[in-house]
Amino acid sequence: MTITLNLNGNPTELDVKTNYTLQEALQFKLGLTGAKHMCNKGVCGSCTVIKDGRAVLSCQILAVECDGSTVETVEGIAAQPKWKPLLDAYCKWDAMQCGYCTPGFVVSAKALLDRNPTPTEDECKESLAGNICICGTYPRHAQAIMEAALAMNN
Amino acid sequence: MADLVGVNGQRTDFRVVGKPNLPGKASMSLATGVAKFGIDYVLPGMLHAKFLRSPYANAKIISMDISRAKSIPGVVDIVTWEDPELKNLGGSPMGGPPSRPYLDNYADQDGMEVGCIVVAEDEDIAEDALRVILQDTQWEVYDAIVDPNKGRESNAPIVRQVRYTSFDMFSSVKPEDQKGNVNFATTVQGDVEEGFKQADHIIEYEVDLPAFCGHIPNPPSSVAWWTKEPYRDGEWLHVEGAVQRRDSVGRMYGVPDDRTIQEGIFQGGKYCDWGMRKSQEITPLLAKRSGRPVRCAQEREETFDFLMNERFIHMKIGFTNDGLITAIDDFSIADGGIQGNSSFGTANDQGYGPYYTTRCLNIRQQMEIVDTNTGKMYLSGQHCPFNWDTLTVGLHIIAEKLNKDVIDVAKLNLHGPDSQEDPRVVPSFEACIETGKKLMNWEWHKAGAKRLPDGRLHGAGFRYQICPRHAFSGYDCQLEYRGGKIHLPTQGPITGIFAVECNAMIIAEELNVEYDDVIVDYDWRNKFTPVGGGSDGTTASGWAMKECCAKLKKMILEQAVKEAENPPAGGMFSFGPPQPNPIKGYTIDELDIAPKPLAEPKPVPAPPGGMPGFGGPPGGFGGPPAPVNEPVVYVKADPSIFKALSGAVTETLVANFSGRPPAAIWSLGMGKMLDTMNTAYCEVAVDEETGVVEILRFGVVADPGKVIRPTSLESQIDQVMYFSQGCQLFEEFIYDDATGLRLNNNMIEYKKPTVMDVPRVDKHFEETRSGNAVYGASGVSHSMANTHLVICAIYNATGVWVQPPATPDKLLAALGKI
Ligand code: FES
Ligand code: FES
Repeated sequence: MTITLNLNGNPTELDVKTNYTLQEALQFKLGLTGAKHMCNKGVCGSCTVIKDGRAVLSCQILAVECDGSTVETVEGIAAQPKWKPLLDAYCKWDAMQCGYCTPGFVVSAKALLDRNPTPTEDECKESLAGNICICGTYPRHAQAIMEAALAMNN
Repeated sequence: MADLVGVNGQRTDFRVVGKPNLPGKASMSLATGVAKFGIDYVLPGMLHAKFLRSPYANAKIISMDISRAKSIPGVVDIVTWEDPELKNLGGSPMGGPPSRPYLDNYADQDGMEVGCIVVAEDEDIAEDALRVILQDTQWEVYDAIVDPNKGRESNAPIVRQVRYTSFDMFSSVKPEDQKGNVNFATTVQGDVEEGFKQADHIIEYEVDLPAFCGHIPNPPSSVAWWTKEPYRDGEWLHVEGAVQRRDSVGRMYGVPDDRTIQEGIFQGGKYCDWGMRKSQEITPLLAKRSGRPVRCAQEREETFDFLMNERFIHMKIGFTNDGLITAIDDFSIADGGIQGNSSFGTANDQGYGPYYTTRCLNIRQQMEIVDTNTGKMYLSGQHCPFNWDTLTVGLHIIAEKLNKDVIDVAKLNLHGPDSQEDPRVVPSFEACIETGKKLMNWEWHKAGAKRLPDGRLHGAGFRYQICPRHAFSGYDCQLEYRGGKIHLPTQGPITGIFAVECNAMIIAEELNVEYDDVIVDYDWRNKFTPVGGGSDGTTASGWAMKECCAKLKKMILEQAVKEAENPPAGGMFSFGPPQPNPIKGYTIDELDIAPKPLAEPKPVPAPPGGMPGFGGPPGGFGGPPAPVNEPVVYVKADPSIFKALSGAVTETLVANFSGRPPAAIWSLGMGKMLDTMNTAYCEVAVDEETGVVEILRFGVVADPGKVIRPTSLESQIDQVMYFSQGCQLFEEFIYDDATGLRLNNNMIEYKKPTVMDVPRVDKHFEETRSGNAVYGASGVSHSMANTHLVICAIYNATGVWVQPPATPDKLLAALGKI
């Protein structure tokens, strides 16, 4: 089935199997590797993308459900200079070890900053509660997000 | 103190090493999702492979008919265990003969790869075919055992219905000793009975080591394809997603190193689980057969291997009235898991257990290793040595009995640096506990004696560890100087420990350039890999790299002198006589490298016929040189005389060094000699009404010898403390006893800690420089991981022992409330 997405600001048409998840469509049809497959059960947040303004788990949404939607992936976020401070802060604070979960955290962080440009530590934690980092980088994320928020607000 | 050779132990000033917040060289790729792990690769025309996985915990295939599955449109290939190509495949991860056939018709764990592999146009078709194959397969199902205590009973059914030649280069267990499901390992030192006679008190207690899951973040997967090049004989194997080194897969297929290509450098978190999964090994064979790229990706359900096997320990300890241990008797029943399980979780622990760190000379360790159908631990595990906390628990019981601070009991029992009979205190330990007490506001109290203002019980736990590390590997370092930059060619991999970055920092330190002047060139063709066991490998490779830096630095300065004397011919657009070289006439002993000019430059007289001296704009005709914003070669006696490094040395230079640091004290002494130590602390609040335990905070005071990269070191300490929290408070494998099936193979029912669960980890690092590796570093690696620190704190709070995981129901039962 052919679907159309507004993907990272670009109208994108793609032919997907009806049982493809959005994560599979992004990976297998478009070669985008930012939405990672970790649990495939909606538990870990590694596959997080922003669909129509809300952070969602792309392993739990069928690609066909997204027909006509606006989808933002970490690749799209990274391409916008506006979000460079967030990525820089992630790198500066090592908010990653193996890095497999990291794009999912970055997307959740961006979704948080979209709705709350000055989050507190607790607000950062709450927004990241659905992201599991097996490497245990948890304390680093709030640090990076708050530093990025500061830089972006200046 | 370790014998620090070369330049390693001498540096006192550090400019780059030890500096926080230097971004990882590949961090941006990771953060933006550009980094590709094995599971991420997609190639045109790629096929998908899936193994048949056993629906039984212990079963053999009697017959399998693949004809119906083969006729499903989109099924390209089905390879069964009887196929000669599969029969000839395999090898142990360490290069020895295979311990079992690559794929068999026998499975001793549910979910194990068995019988066949289906290759299809997509994963759904492969799964459909596997469902049909399952319908067309006859099994002989055997009794399964998932409880080692039941497996050792004399009337227990035999677990291993098919027994393979076992190969384990580390284990001392002998196959001929096997009785039923049980094998044995015993290690004795001194006279335990005599030791008990010397004791004023004898305690006996049980310690259960919990099994818990390794959880490789990226499900193991690979993609392979073969290529030919025109005018060149032979084939090239491309394999993405193989663990650690592509050559181990290449070796399986008889492909030489230089024809085995793995471009991907991102391998995910390993945490001492270096074992290859079949999904990472099989794709080259399937790609060869089909002539197309083949991907084999594991699902999370298929990736619940052990980070640690279960063990039940009965301990008996004798000690004197002042708390000095006189005899240790450890009887363990260990889950041997399935065939091919790592013996690091069982017999191998006896060689370097915690007991040898004590002054007690009478030690007996007896272990029954029980075959079961539970699962497999690959190669090593984050928590080794696994039984460390059997001693930690004992120290807490002694402290309680004698009404003494557990830290004092530990200090009394810990032997000195050189041997078990050395009465001195290990300086590193002394430093750690001094700081640790301050960090934690440590005030020991008896069990149940302290309440928090909110009414909950307060408890504290303490543990010490040596830094178990190996540094067995040698490292082949190479550095290239090109155009003012230092290039570090490496094959990676990137596994979450920032080992390459640590090396880059050491290079910047030694060559006196900025971290950003060190360029990491990742390429599969490069030899250098800093991997060799977590921070052990990082600091050991750093040692070799430091030697390589010494060679390169000498080469750079020699070349600077040479080029000052004999300026190289100018480039295509150079004209006129060469510019004067300010460092001309100096010897290499008079020169050095600095990251930037250390002083304003001195005017240099123009050579006859050359450009005039100062007078024009900076960098322009007749002006002073443009400001130099790069490393320089300068005159030590007068730093205002310098030349930009890229201009001072135009030639490309390559330095090599192969070697490894002096042997680690740990590997020589296995606990009988001590250098760097570390300590961990835990404070809990226990609600007696609900059984809920809150970790108020962890404290870690560790001595890694020398901190190389603090940002990632701190992060790795967080990691092990969270691993430890998970296995002590909520992570647990649940099996159905009747069928042997594991019931919680997904991340909903087996949940790792989230950001909402994890406590604060207060950290402090001592730097005694007493390790064996670079600058006296040792690496901390596994050593902070624990199984009973939280449990000890709960005991201190409540006076009851609860076996991990200390779930509310277990704690309430232990408190007699339910
Ligand atoms: S992979 Fe989608 S939530 Fe885990
Ligand atoms: S950095 Fe490895 S899972 Fe988060």
